[in-house]
Amino acid sequence: MAKHRGRGFATIEYPTGMNQNGDPSQAWIKLKPDGRVDVFSGTVDIGQGSKTVHTQIVADALGVPYDWVTMDNTNTDSSAVCTGTFASRGTFIGGNAVRLAAERVRERILDIASKELEIDASDLEIANGEVTAKGAPQKSINVADVAGAATYNYGELISGSSTALKPFAEVDDATGQVEIEPHSAISYAACVADVEVDDETGDVVVLKMVQVYDVGRAINPTLVEGQIEGGAIMGLGLGLTEASYPHYPSPEHRGGEFGAYLGPAMEDLPELDNVILENPSEDGPFGAKAIGEMANNAQPPAIANAIFDAVGVWITEMPATPERVLEALEAKREGRRDGKRVIFDEHISVKAFSSNDGEGFYGVDA
Amino acid sequence: MKAVGARLPRYDGVGHVTGRTQYVDDVRVGRTLWVKALRSPHHHAGITKLDTAKAEAMQGVYAVITHKDVPRNVYGHLEGLGVPGDEPLLADGEVRYKGQPIAAVAAESEEAAQAAVEAIEVAYDERPALFDIRLALDPDAPKIHQWGNVYPHYGPYNHRRVRKGDIDWAFDKADVIVEGVYRPQAIEQMPMETQVALAVPEANGRLTIYSCTQAMYFSMGVVAAHLEVPLNKLKFVGGTVGGGFGGKVDTAADTICALLAIKARRPVKWRWTREEEFLSSSTRAAWHIEIADAVTSDGWILGRRTVTLHDSGAYARFSPYGVTKHAFHHSGAYSIPNLRFDGFVCFTNRVPSTAMRGFGVTSVSFAVETHLTRVASVLGIDPWELRLRNANRIGDTSGNGVALKDPSTVAVALAAAERVGIELPAEYRQMTSDPRSGDLLPEHLVAQQRLNGEGA
Repeated sequence: MAKHRGRGFATIEYPTGMNQNGDPSQAWIKLKPDGRVDVFSGTVDIGQGSKTVHTQIVADALGVPYDWVTMDNTNTDSSAVCTGTFASRGTFIGGNAVRLAAERVRERILDIASKELEIDASDLEIANGEVTAKGAPQKSINVADVAGAATYNYGELISGSSTALKPFAEVDDATGQVEIEPHSAISYAACVADVEVDDETGDVVVLKMVQVYDVGRAINPTLVEGQIEGGAIMGLGLGLTEASYPHYPSPEHRGGEFGAYLGPAMEDLPELDNVILENPSEDGPFGAKAIGEMANNAQPPAIANAIFDAVGVWITEMPATPERVLEALEAKREGRRDGKRVIFDEHISVKAFSSNDGEGFYGVDA
Repeated sequence: MKAVGARLPRYDGVGHVTGRTQYVDDVRVGRTLWVKALRSPHHHAGITKLDTAKAEAMQGVYAVITHKDVPRNVYGHLEGLGVPGDEPLLADGEVRYKGQPIAAVAAESEEAAQAAVEAIEVAYDERPALFDIRLALDPDAPKIHQWGNVYPHYGPYNHRRVRKGDIDWAFDKADVIVEGVYRPQAIEQMPMETQVALAVPEANGRLTIYSCTQAMYFSMGVVAAHLEVPLNKLKFVGGTVGGGFGGKVDTAADTICALLAIKARRPVKWRWTREEEFLSSSTRAAWHIEIADAVTSDGWILGRRTVTLHDSGAYARFSPYGVTKHAFHHSGAYSIPNLRFDGFVCFTNRVPSTAMRGFGVTSVSFAVETHLTRVASVLGIDPWELRLRNANRIGDTSGNGVALKDPSTVAVALAAAERVGIELPAEYRQMTSDPRSGDLLPEHLVAQQRLNGEGA
């Protein structure tokens, strides 16, 4: 009877945007007479911080201070279409919608500034709320004054709108092949989990996780770390504790309250070491790719692999509860060799349960 | 100062941690009625009697609705993508999962609404139920869905397929074939904020719906479809959600509140109890994944055969989409030139499963990544080296034939190895994502490459 340490890892990829695309996000932006910026976007913030990230994108795309920008995502009357906050699409697709709208607003600001300064728009740039002539910074006008001039002198509303949309990728139902990329980008991650397994109780404790994420560009590194660490604890729940149906496939004994459902708690949180890589995407806002959903995908296999490293058994039914670990230690199952085949897990396969050897699932067009 | 890349504080963070952020349940409107639902106590049953007369006559009850009150009762969440509808908003003649809504009441208090729900006269004829997806196509399995026990609408197929390269060649050529079965489980999204909606009939004839949806326009479309009204009749107010994780993409409370508000001509609010959130709201799906990898003794993955069964629960919801996404990513972060994948959406008599963080891919990442370490252990090869050798590179193609532009499997794996002090041999340490050449471009990987903008 002893505690055994083990290490496992996993390397994963995850798409940005709805599978097969065709999921627009739209945004529009207007300037107040003092140059302050109102952004209307339909992107719902489910806690991941899309309002913050979109505000950062608009501020830099326009060249104005962050605190000039107000984000309104509150209703469908003032906001245009956003397909939704899912499919890891908020930063990339929602972010591109506000970026493209901001670029149009920037052009309008430069047009008006060009008239005021009598300098060609292509010779002007905007930074920190100031429009200046390239190479002649003494010739400048504040964006507040540009917006005032637009409103009261030129009778114009400086505004801009845009849609981020990648066309729908048709799939060949016979082969699963597509003609165009069925996603906006792909993000990558790796997770190394160190665990301790108690061979008497079956308890598995995750001691440390090292996680590496390529997010293209971290628009807000603090929020990226929030996704990495929140995802880590969710992945730990998947790997070790959580199950809607504790005796799946039986529907009985579901937990109907927090006390009867084993979600991970702060005491389960291991030491976390986060690494952010920035391999920019071609067409994401400022090179960004998604992180949101993939953040709970690498831990469950890393944990399963670490359990194997520690005690030499494979837990392939999630989660790795103490009961499952003890059962596996007891059963000491190994792969059955049949010629060059090495066959694991036969006891849980379709063939083991079905009365017709899984006909209909196996070899459908063999 | 540049905003992008800066560690700026959350836009709404102070409001969240000081309790000043307004969530749906914080919105108070005068004369609001409260909603409770009659839910199925059975996993599978015919409804032989449904009489709401006594409930409607009760003190403080302003509206009771059943399927008869819904202009379009069956509307599929993915009809826009060509997936036909199968799920009724309110059960009509039968129930297919425990917790399925049959009728809903709006009353002056939650207690009065619950009392009225209990006064609805309903009788059931219990039917055999199916819970094990492995038995979905068994001749003896109960038939539980009008389409059969497996979703039949992937074009002419009842499964999502991937066919790439020459799978028979790969399995003939392989030195070893490693087979395993992986069963990721269903879990709860478990948001702090349970499903909640408030529908307010406005003086101008419009309906304002305060919603915790993750997708305002999507949910507005769903409500408009059930009500058969144009979008200008509805205004969704939301954008701030107390935790979603995928569970608030389904339109859970909005439509029923809208119908009750119209019938009662009063604002109505429905906030699910924690027990309803756990037991009657959708979960992440359980999956069953069988993988066979054809590998060489020196660690090349020549081909992969996969059969996936997805537990959709009683209705389709987003499951056909989830299995397609699963199919598109079943080769993981690696280049496998020969693939054969068959994925089935299987119906069972449990709460319909739905989106959750990593939808469709969390399951296959677990299966593939556990399987690869197993393959490495069978071959006696270092699992890092096995992965790095087969890792996606620029110009490799994905399972569905897309050329990869900027993969970073190699970069994240090497960064992780370095961080934990794993000392890999120099030939692995020096790997990059650059296009394959030399020893890293064996004969079997040549045909799948698409470099220099060729192909997709």
